[in-house]
Amino acid sequence: MTVKVAEEWLNICGGCEVTILDIGEPLLDLLSKLEFVHMPVLMDHKYFGQTGEKTELEIPEADVGIISGGIRNEKEKIVALEMRKKCKTLISLGSCACFGGIPALANQYSLEELYDKVYRQSKTTDSADTPSDDIPPLLDRIYALDEVIKVDVYIPGCPTTPEIVADALTSLLEGKPFTLPERSVCDDCPTKREKKAITSIKRPLESILPPGQKLEESRCFMELGYLCLGPVTKSGCGGSEKTPRCIKGVMPCRGCFGPIRAGANPMVEMMGALSSIGLDPRLIFDRPSTFQRYIGAHGRLRPLPKRP
Amino acid sequence: MSIDQKIDTEFEPLIIGFCCNWCAYAGADLAGISRMQYPTNVRIIRVMCSGMVHPNLVIDALTKGADGVIICGCHIGDCHYLDGNITAEKRADAIKLMLQDFGIEEERFRLEWVSASEASRFAQVMTEFTETIKKLGPSPFKS
Repeated sequence: MTVKVAEEWLNICGGCEVTILDIGEPLLDLLSKLEFVHMPVLMDHKYFGQTGEKTELEIPEADVGIISGGIRNEKEKIVALEMRKKCKTLISLGSCACFGGIPALANQYSLEELYDKVYRQSKTTDSADTPSDDIPPLLDRIYALDEVIKVDVYIPGCPTTPEIVADALTSLLEGKPFTLPERSVCDDCPTKREKKAITSIKRPLESILPPGQKLEESRCFMELGYLCLGPVTKSGCGGSEKTPRCIKGVMPCRGCFGPIRAGANPMVEMMGALSSIGLDPRLIFDRPSTFQRYIGAHGRLRPLPKRP
Repeated sequence: MSIDQKIDTEFEPLIIGFCCNWCAYAGADLAGISRMQYPTNVRIIRVMCSGMVHPNLVIDALTKGADGVIICGCHIGDCHYLDGNITAEKRADAIKLMLQDFGIEEERFRLEWVSASEASRFAQVMTEFTETIKKLGPSPFKS
């Protein structure tokens, strides 16, 4: 018996769909058990019937629904609600769907400010009116999927790790629940920690490791002065290899897997992590965006109130 | 009077007060015993030391419904644990920085020293702080 899968992309770049294809050989075993009934990125399946004959938006019934991307406009909201209606289990795939992702950085500005910046203040475009014909209106801010509909399985990451997608799909096929363990990136990081920073905050533009040095021999990136969101970010991006992906590529963690547990407050915890090793958080430019780069939905990033 | 009828009431803020067991809480106790008057907006939470109030608790309170947070501890040099209130003082700086990032007015947070015998000072601090918060209005996170 095959399991019917519906996939939908909302406010997203498409990287998470590439991750599904990037599963590699395990995908061949999975594909024999899956039947894709709706997937705009791969299939020509239209919302209002193939010739546009229907009046209501329709997505076929499916056992598993996968949605990537947050909710930015009215159309995406309607599609998300329809997906929830038609799918028994719903997976939110990628950081945009789970926490708002990079687009949610825009939650720091009101719609008027955004329109003004994009259509009128920008130096590289001609001044124009805000377009309104034949396009769905934007919502007041960017919403994570679970702010609008109930989500059963969360797979964070920007983009996420193919291995986790395969694991989640396999567990669902076997009827087992799927969750990522509550571990931080630091728990899986191979670098050495001595709990004292040796320099002030730097930008990761120059090489962090001297050529030829192994990762295991290096000090913790944060102690070397490179801002790393490892202490407040959920681990799992490395898959079975354990070593987090960015760390393996000798770059500090950017926090795409989101908070370690629900209800955590990465901005406060990050300030604690910085001061405990003797770094000054005041030197970091635009702290709210830096510490919450991928998790701006759920009201974490919001317009700052104007002070008189 | 019908339920729909709008009752014009003054904004009553919700203030969380973290009081240390050895000085400020005893001071609050004395203020109560001495029947001193101070606003009922303050909800006191007893902690063993002002130094143990993590910034997380303050931010959590202010983002989840409180309009103001006040931490009260022993005077510098009088701490039961020798330097707990010095920790609290350092943390207060960090808390103020975080409040900026969260877009919360700095005035919504205050650190005060109240000894066990300063009942009148306790009542006065609470009255003043409640007045400040009333002027500021509800927390931006309340909407």
